[in-house]
Amino acid sequence: MSRLNANLLHPCQRVGDNLARWREAGGGEALRLGAANPAAILAAVKDADLRGLGGSGFPVWRKWEAVASEAPRPDKYLVCNGNEDEPGTFKDRLLLEETPHQVIEGALLAALAVGANRVVLYVNPDLTRSLAALQAALARWHNTEFLQLAGDALGQAITVELVPSSGHYIGGEETAALEWIEGKFPFPRGKPPYPAQYGVHGCPTLINNVETLANIPAIVRHGADWFRAQSTGRGTGSKLYSLSGDVLHPGVYELPMGTTLGDLIFVHGGGLLSGKPLKAVFTGGPSNTLLTPADLDVSLDFDSLRERGAALGTGAMIVVSEGTGMVKRVAEYARFFAHSSCGQCISCKTGTATISRLLDRIDTGRGTAADLATLESLCRMLPGTGRCHLVNGVAQLLDSSFRHFRQEYRQALK
Amino acid sequence: MKRGLSLQAALAAYRPDAELAPLPEQIDPDRLLSFFHPDHLRDSVTTLTVGPNAGAHCQRELADLLQAEAVIDEVDLAGVPVTDTDVLVIGGGGAGCAAALAAAEHGARVLLATKLRLGDSNTVMAEGGIQAAIEPGDSAQKHMQDTLRAGHHAGDPALVAAMVGDGPEVIHWLIRQGMQFDQTDSGDLHTRRAGGTSAPRIVHCRDYTGLEMMRVLREAVAQHRGIEVWDQHPAVELLSNERGQKCVGAVLSSLADRSLRIVRTRSVILATGGLGRLHLNGFPTSNHLGATGDGLVLAYRMGARLCELDSFQYHPTGLVNPPYLSGKLVTEGIRAAGALLLNAQGQRFVDELQPRDIVCAAIIRECREGRGIHPDVGGVGVWLDTPRLERSQPGLLERQFPKLLARTRVAGIDPRSEPILVYPTLHYQNGGAVIDVDGATTVPGLYAAGEVAGGIHGRNRIMGNALLEIIGFGRRAGIAAALSGHDRGPKKITLEHVNRARRALALAGLPLARRAPQVLPPYAAMGKDS
Repeated sequence: MSRLNANLLHPCQRVGDNLARWREAGGGEALRLGAANPAAILAAVKDADLRGLGGSGFPVWRKWEAVASEAPRPDKYLVCNGNEDEPGTFKDRLLLEETPHQVIEGALLAALAVGANRVVLYVNPDLTRSLAALQAALARWHNTEFLQLAGDALGQAITVELVPSSGHYIGGEETAALEWIEGKFPFPRGKPPYPAQYGVHGCPTLINNVETLANIPAIVRHGADWFRAQSTGRGTGSKLYSLSGDVLHPGVYELPMGTTLGDLIFVHGGGLLSGKPLKAVFTGGPSNTLLTPADLDVSLDFDSLRERGAALGTGAMIVVSEGTGMVKRVAEYARFFAHSSCGQCISCKTGTATISRLLDRIDTGRGTAADLATLESLCRMLPGTGRCHLVNGVAQLLDSSFRHFRQEYRQALK
Repeated sequence: MKRGLSLQAALAAYRPDAELAPLPEQIDPDRLLSFFHPDHLRDSVTTLTVGPNAGAHCQRELADLLQAEAVIDEVDLAGVPVTDTDVLVIGGGGAGCAAALAAAEHGARVLLATKLRLGDSNTVMAEGGIQAAIEPGDSAQKHMQDTLRAGHHAGDPALVAAMVGDGPEVIHWLIRQGMQFDQTDSGDLHTRRAGGTSAPRIVHCRDYTGLEMMRVLREAVAQHRGIEVWDQHPAVELLSNERGQKCVGAVLSSLADRSLRIVRTRSVILATGGLGRLHLNGFPTSNHLGATGDGLVLAYRMGARLCELDSFQYHPTGLVNPPYLSGKLVTEGIRAAGALLLNAQGQRFVDELQPRDIVCAAIIRECREGRGIHPDVGGVGVWLDTPRLERSQPGLLERQFPKLLARTRVAGIDPRSEPILVYPTLHYQNGGAVIDVDGATTVPGLYAAGEVAGGIHGRNRIMGNALLEIIGFGRRAGIAAALSGHDRGPKKITLEHVNRARRALALAGLPLARRAPQVLPPYAAMGKDS
């Protein structure tokens, strides 16, 4: 039996905006089931132990319960977060481009489950093909009975709206997305209150990643037990891994949650390019950490990776072969984060910029031992000082690289 | 190849005043080309297996480079200093200078990196002149028709229209930069008629038009405060964003100490010229030392589509004798002025003002069929009958072709009394990177101008269009690159495109041992140091 456990990326889902083909393959069935019994949706998702696949790994049902328990004021929002801009992550754009109907269906099911009457599809405008596909798909939905069906189940009309995001990296942060949808610059908000209590225009708001929502229809159709059986490790369901870097076959792979790193790289990715040895893997997502060849046996699920001091994040695996300068690589990431900082928290604005500057100095052979010491203390000082996770991410990446490749930093010193 | 006459015998038989037989009846040009043009030599062409042009025909020597590994790897980038600029121009010839000037005029910070020195290029060797439809009886339309017809209608009409339309303005711009052109007695620009064209359209500065052009461009670049020039810094690789889909900079290597420099930019303009120094099919070349096709290699690896990779121009009249001048050009202007081509038997064999590919094929036919002239030191050629020209227009050579006289004088040959031995020389790359009218390649952020760009000349270029193209499209690319929008955020600078190319090579089972770009031909001293 093939290890490829295609659910989200099954060929019958990858029909683009072609509604007829999607319906032939059972598309819309989950929405019918969900509309007949909205209460069962949340129960199934809870049973399935679906996690937030945008990087947090937070149990989906807990967010949903929080939103479901709030009264509409007067609306309730559901935001489908498609701002995907993490380094090395390219899964949501594929889902949006090739399976837009699945995503819309998932979003409507989630809206039914929590009682949201306004659905916002929030998509990065740089993903032009995804945006176009979603737009075309949405236009077709307006000619179907589905919206009516969902509205009847909810007891009020459901609106589905496509909002291109700002395209800023920080716009993918939950509360920053809310700000943008309200028409403001995407500055992350302080928390609490959480979006469940105080979201778009003060209304209770549920915000989930594209991949998370895309999983809902299958859970509703096939049940939680089926979903749990899809995984091999400790997680549940399947996961889209974005594999890139020095591998022979990079790409998006839908595999059982908990597939080992070794399998992903060597079985699915075809191994390393030109047969070079593996040096490290950057896991992409809001928290960037490093895995090393010693971690080839690790199951790629949220819990197993956390035990190794790493994080699954968005499921992006950037493979780096021997012969790659780690300092330069980390410096590149740090520059990305420094540039992406929205600047409202001083610690993040100056902290990321300082880290980037010091790393550049060390990388170009102008760094001193004092610079390295500064970086190390920044790693301890910065986490938790920002409104969002951006500054934590930089510190985590730096810390992770110190743990595994301290020698390389030392060698680069003046 | 049948052996013809020795040089001494041919010289002894030569009479500048001999009566010439009428031109024999010409065979069908397509037949002539397919039998005798070097592009059609057996085994000279292969098919590309990887990259954006997979499946296309390509000259073998070039294909080897296009399907090679990069010369640098991630490991080489560790600790390399980074320089930021708006526009990076790679190449210090006419196209590079024109692009840099145009970009700087539009407010961009420009870095111009050259392989050798600013001005070390084929531009300085362009002798004949520059085409522009400026005569009263001429029109851009006629210029366009001539260009397309001579290129066997393989050129992109939109690009040709843009180029010929730029013509008069380009001349005007050059004059404003301070360039001198030959004038008529009344002070108008003097024009000549080029082979394969319907009207006199060549504006020129004696027989060193390109040199004069480069003189003013070089001064303008040196004086412009918005342009920084790095001499002797050839590009060894481009840089892409993390998806490998946009060009965001380049890696330069110092010729002095081989240290690398990373340049991070908004746009990169390739103005790297041609590839004569690859000596396709063993031909001598008129090209300067740095013409090793680096731009094509870099662009191809980045994913840019190329065109007409199996079509090259051989200039009909390259010097044969003495050997150290082998491949050096005798300008087409001299045939435009009336000089004839004669075989060993002292007979004309082709209309000298036919397009270059036809004249080349005709010369090769004469030599292959035993009507060539063989100097003792090797090589073969036919006569360029300069003494007859001198007899009909006394003083013309000295007045209009001083560079030719100077060049042959050192070899002890006086073209006024002795004909010159010539043979086709690898001269110009007809194709190149596919561009649009803004000089943009198919890869975002990557522009190309000059000989490295393709699509204008089709499968054969007429004289003088190259100088027009480098200025016209150089300026177009410079303006577009300067005005191109900022990318949101600093997307990472990576070698992802190198990885992609490496993957393709591995999957196609091609060897990973060969590396490109070459930077300098193997016989250059630089390659032997390490």
